[in-house]
Amino acid sequence: MKRALSPAETPQVGRSLPRLESWLKVTGRAEYVHNLRLPGMLYGRIFRSSVAHGRIRRLDVSAAQAVGGVHRVVSAADLKGIVPDPYYGPAFHDQPVLAVDKVRYVGEPVAVVLAADPHVAEEAAHLIVAEYEELPAVYDELEAMTSKAIVHDALKPAGTFPDLKHLKGRTGTNVALDFHLRRGDAAQALAAADRVFEHRFRTQQVMHTPLEPLVSVAESTDSSLTIHTASQSPSFVRIEVARLLGWPENRIRVRVPFLGGGFGAKLYIKLEALVAVLSLLTRRAVKISLTMEEQFFTITKHASSFRIKSGVTRDGRICARECEVWWNGGAYADIGPRVTQKSGFTAAGPYDIEHVAIDSYALYTNLPPAGALRGFGIPQLVWAYECHTDMMARELGIDPIEFRRRNLLRDGRPQATGTLMRDAAIEKVLDRLAVLLEWNRPFDRGTGVVRRGRGIAIGFKACVSPTTSLAAVNVNGDGSCIVYCSTVDMGQGSDTAMAQIAGEVLHLPAETVRVVHSDTDVTPYDMATLGSRSLFHMGNAVKLAAEDALKKLNQLKSELQMPPDAAIPEIFKKKYGMQAGNVVGTGSFIPSYAPPDYATGLTSDATPFWMVGGSGVEIEVDTETGRVRVARLVNVADVGTPINPKIVETQLSGAAIMQLGFTLFEKMLFDEHGQLRNASLAEYKIPGFLDMPEEIINEAVSAEQRSGPFGAKGVGETGTFGVSPAIANAIHDAVGVRLTVLPLNPESIFMELQKAK
Amino acid sequence: MPFELAEPRSLREAIASLDAKDPSVRPISGGTALMLMMKAGVLRPSRLVSLGKLGLAGIRTGPGGELRVGAMTSLRTIEKSEIVRKGWPVIARTLRTLANVRVRNVATVGGHLAHADPHMDLPPVLSALGARVTIAGAAGERSIPVEELGTGYLETSIRLDELITLLEVPPLGGRSAAYLKCTTRSADDWPAVGVAVSLDFQGDSIREASVVIGAATDKPTRLAAVERILVGRKLDENLLDEAATQELSVEGDLHGSAAYKKQLIRVYLRRAIHEARAQSR
Amino acid sequence: MARSLQLSLTVNGEAVELSCAGYKTLLEVLREDLGLTGTKHGCELGECGACAVLIDGTPQLSCLVLAAECEGRAVETVEGLSRGAELHPLQAAFADLGAAQCGYCTPGILMTAKALLDNERMPDRERIKEAVSGNLCRCTGYQQIFEAIEEAARRLEHESHR
Repeated sequence: MKRALSPAETPQVGRSLPRLESWLKVTGRAEYVHNLRLPGMLYGRIFRSSVAHGRIRRLDVSAAQAVGGVHRVVSAADLKGIVPDPYYGPAFHDQPVLAVDKVRYVGEPVAVVLAADPHVAEEAAHLIVAEYEELPAVYDELEAMTSKAIVHDALKPAGTFPDLKHLKGRTGTNVALDFHLRRGDAAQALAAADRVFEHRFRTQQVMHTPLEPLVSVAESTDSSLTIHTASQSPSFVRIEVARLLGWPENRIRVRVPFLGGGFGAKLYIKLEALVAVLSLLTRRAVKISLTMEEQFFTITKHASSFRIKSGVTRDGRICARECEVWWNGGAYADIGPRVTQKSGFTAAGPYDIEHVAIDSYALYTNLPPAGALRGFGIPQLVWAYECHTDMMARELGIDPIEFRRRNLLRDGRPQATGTLMRDAAIEKVLDRLAVLLEWNRPFDRGTGVVRRGRGIAIGFKACVSPTTSLAAVNVNGDGSCIVYCSTVDMGQGSDTAMAQIAGEVLHLPAETVRVVHSDTDVTPYDMATLGSRSLFHMGNAVKLAAEDALKKLNQLKSELQMPPDAAIPEIFKKKYGMQAGNVVGTGSFIPSYAPPDYATGLTSDATPFWMVGGSGVEIEVDTETGRVRVARLVNVADVGTPINPKIVETQLSGAAIMQLGFTLFEKMLFDEHGQLRNASLAEYKIPGFLDMPEEIINEAVSAEQRSGPFGAKGVGETGTFGVSPAIANAIHDAVGVRLTVLPLNPESIFMELQKAK
Repeated sequence: MPFELAEPRSLREAIASLDAKDPSVRPISGGTALMLMMKAGVLRPSRLVSLGKLGLAGIRTGPGGELRVGAMTSLRTIEKSEIVRKGWPVIARTLRTLANVRVRNVATVGGHLAHADPHMDLPPVLSALGARVTIAGAAGERSIPVEELGTGYLETSIRLDELITLLEVPPLGGRSAAYLKCTTRSADDWPAVGVAVSLDFQGDSIREASVVIGAATDKPTRLAAVERILVGRKLDENLLDEAATQELSVEGDLHGSAAYKKQLIRVYLRRAIHEARAQSR
Repeated sequence: MARSLQLSLTVNGEAVELSCAGYKTLLEVLREDLGLTGTKHGCELGECGACAVLIDGTPQLSCLVLAAECEGRAVETVEGLSRGAELHPLQAAFADLGAAQCGYCTPGILMTAKALLDNERMPDRERIKEAVSGNLCRCTGYQQIFEAIEEAARRLEHESHR
């Protein structure tokens, strides 16, 4: 598909351009690591722990090793020569490449069988025998606070985060991180309040289930290592593997093609360290493709408990709030401590409350590790504070939307951390929800077996900070343009958005802009594709890089004494005498940030931008079975000024339907020994076509993020915020029962209905 | 997982390829369930006997008006069959929401019945309709009610060297039948409860009732107490609720607790009866 | 070790002869022996539909079908969907309407939808739901997939009147 390179006549931002890689995806040609086969490649099959907490007494791999076609069986003891200290992680160096001496959850990797035929590796892995001395285990985040079962002997924070340093070497605790925020005097204000409400909420452990399970391939030479991986954070993979090996970064190359979904599952470092050492050990290419089942033993979303207490004045103003949140991080910290702290900033909700106390705890337990999942902890918090808000409104006899409006956090006001709100269209989102739901019109709740109800919820998030993005924009001799950036397109459409931004600056149709996929040998550093940060951070970096290229082109023009309207190819032709050369612009973006004070959690600059999202639903409850049908789902968000309105809409709907699964039925179910009972898509159900609400509306309010590229900000997570509490609020509206534990499955609704009788 | 694949051309040859004593020799029809068992490591076959070339597919009506379906007929073929849609609409309706179209295209009715997963939809329906299967073995053929096929979770009365060859469903006659199922997670989940009723209405009362539930118990189970209450008198829903679960040993699983499943049985039984009644009018 | 099987079948209209181990699934043969990597491994349990292909015109799950059972049959994969350089209307509609996000489930859904549109000219949303239910997508929220299949049906209808 060759298009003429002509200056774009229409603006490139604001176009609902179909994704640039669509052709590749609808023809089945898109490149995924899943498809990669290298000459002489070995397949690794992981042997996993069958106990939740135990010392490895004996590991017998002889039968597996004896299977014909098995190249080698590898356990932690084999890694010592390559990685002296084989522990990795983004926040804590606590996770072993393969279990060393101890296992800490059922499903933890203990050994790997390598074979040229994956069937052989699988067969042989069944023959490995491990014996454990079982240790007391802890599974519940609240019990973990005081449990005698200690998951890690000592805390091992990574050096990268200054605010974790004080935790180093701490023993006898499962608390990986505690974050505290004190604004005003919540205790005193609660004592003085006219009404005080206190509620507890819980969320369940769930999994991302990207349809392309985690997969990594490593190949090595005498002096270099190339990792092809389905990762959302290639730059971090390179830094972390280099650290483990004691190598300079330039000996390691990390390549990422398209991802078959990510949602936070493919962040930081997962299989990469393992395939890297296996390749170095065997000097062969090594591939590990997890099965869908194995993903459940790799990364999950935090289960959580939340105690929230609010004081309200007679006129319906929230004057004080106390929040205590416990995050079930599983056996390894992954990014859990960051979830604990960053979400802690906004645990009190999008309300203007003078006195706030927040305590947020990251806990180790003997469950599969939890990390980031589309929202970085925010959906768990919104679940609690928006149910709480509705419960108070109903108790006070105030309309839930009116109650929210009275307390809303408006631009220019300080948020709990003390940071002033800017460019956060919270009120617009609430207003628009009310309009789309026709909130003021009478609503028929039904009288028979099926009752109807409606509910809303709004939430907000502080984008993770400070993080860095770099980009390069290369203008070729013919004026065509290539963008180099390490943002990973995992389905969210980042390639298209970056092309639109570069095209806007350089007056090129976005379709003609090429975006080079992450390859650490080629594309510059980027913190990661996470937390809805890419459009803002990388978008700004690409814009700066394109502007830099434009500036250099203009400089050339004046050096060469060319008229201002001279076409780009003419500049190169004049400079080099022929179609030759190129101009590379670079851009580097890191927003300002002030770390929170350790004692008070206060900061004047918590985040580069606020994300705001809300949902409204109309539902039906079958009172005989507790089954819920979502008839209407309305999602409204502040995404600044959309770069690509169509992609914004699909991001909102995709996020909301994902959250619908987390709301109504998705749940990882463990038995009393920490064994996961439903590690497959047959028993862990995610929403399908038949679960779609009858009507779904996704809308971005008219808004502008002044510090964003062309007024834009991130959208990947926003659609998740309000879905769960909106549905719980609607259930209460329909049948008068209040659920405080996710998921809101038919049985729990029915049991509450029975209790209420 | 190395195994041998036998592809017999005749029923006799197929039966000879089976092994009365070796459970690692298994017949494979559509394979949708068998492949899952193999992938889960539950089944490690030494030999699979493919039934694809035995010519056991086809749908017709027999001399007594009964439906005759060859064991190797795909579920999708049955679903789309005009004969089935006209004469046994409850079967076609049940099939529309059974697993998904890709599975129904491959899974066969014989395999479906022989697998004996209690969550399957057809066994309760066919049991309620009084259907029978023909089972062939080295010693010849025998015919048993579908109801007697399942003996427990994934267990049947079919011997290792036998095969289901034919399904026979008697004509509905004056009966109206309904099957309702309830999923408790995603809509396309395996059911928590399935209720099949076949009722012969005479005005407001019922002359003959057949009620079989699936999914909630380890094999499809007839609700005889319910049938007794239904026949010959005016419907009393309180009596029905009590009878619905009195004889049952319901097991809780990932779809719901035993107590909740009992509630679902009561509700779906009533709803299935109402649906059958609505059809009879 | 089991002996390997000689197999002849038609894949995307071309006759293919190969020998493979008897335990291999059609999915493995397509991806590994024939290099047709458009069809994907997903759940391996028949729950997600990422591996769906057409066998003799009907959508089936290639992860649950033994290659040996496909002797003499006609298999269609996403690689055979385009008409030369031109996209099939389903592919074009999926691209235009944003129905492919991460793209991993897309081939399986396209093939399932093709079987539907091969048999029905203008299916309503209920029919589309029934046909594609069980094909899981974690990205889109499904709305755009419905819209794309409806749009493709309209484009096919328009073509047939040309």
